[in-house]
Amino acid sequence: MIGTVLAACGAFLVAVGTFGIVRFRDVYSRLQASGVSDNAGLALVLLGLILYEGWSPTDWTLLFLLLLMLVTNPIATHSIAKSAFVQRHTGEDSP
Amino acid sequence: MSIVEGILLATIVPLLCILVKAPTAWDRLLAYNSAANRVTAVLAISSVVLDQAVLLDVAIIYAALSFIGVVALARFMERGEGFR
Repeated sequence: MIGTVLAACGAFLVAVGTFGIVRFRDVYSRLQASGVSDNAGLALVLLGLILYEGWSPTDWTLLFLLLLMLVTNPIATHSIAKSAFVQRHTGEDSP
Repeated sequence: MSIVEGILLATIVPLLCILVKAPTAWDRLLAYNSAANRVTAVLAISSVVLDQAVLLDVAIIYAALSFIGVVALARFMERGEGFR
């Protein structure tokens, strides 16, 4: 029950983040909407999946996937932001 | 739980529209990153609902490969390659 509620909260966050990505105009605004909502929402979805049917041995794999996404998502977001910033300020043909 | 899966699958569609027509290349890269995250979550939900542990390994490999691809493309575009 609590797992379903957590997953529903995560799905709501992901939907709001997608709305922000569609509506915003700038790369950095889109990065903010995508980074924050994706991290929180998908972490909530995976946490709800862990709590969904009690404890089972496959939950270690889910926990590893959760840790992997929590580590790699901010790195990817920061990498995209740094790439856009550096190319805009030092590139020959800035967008 | 399948409602959550449906919501996640439905949020991929506007991201694909962004992926086709976005003003700059970084917008497209960002949309690809978000879509890959949602696909990973959908694979994890399918693994738990269908009770197939193999899909979790597929999800882990998908997350790692999409992360490597996004970081490599970002570093590639940071040096100004592909724009000249």
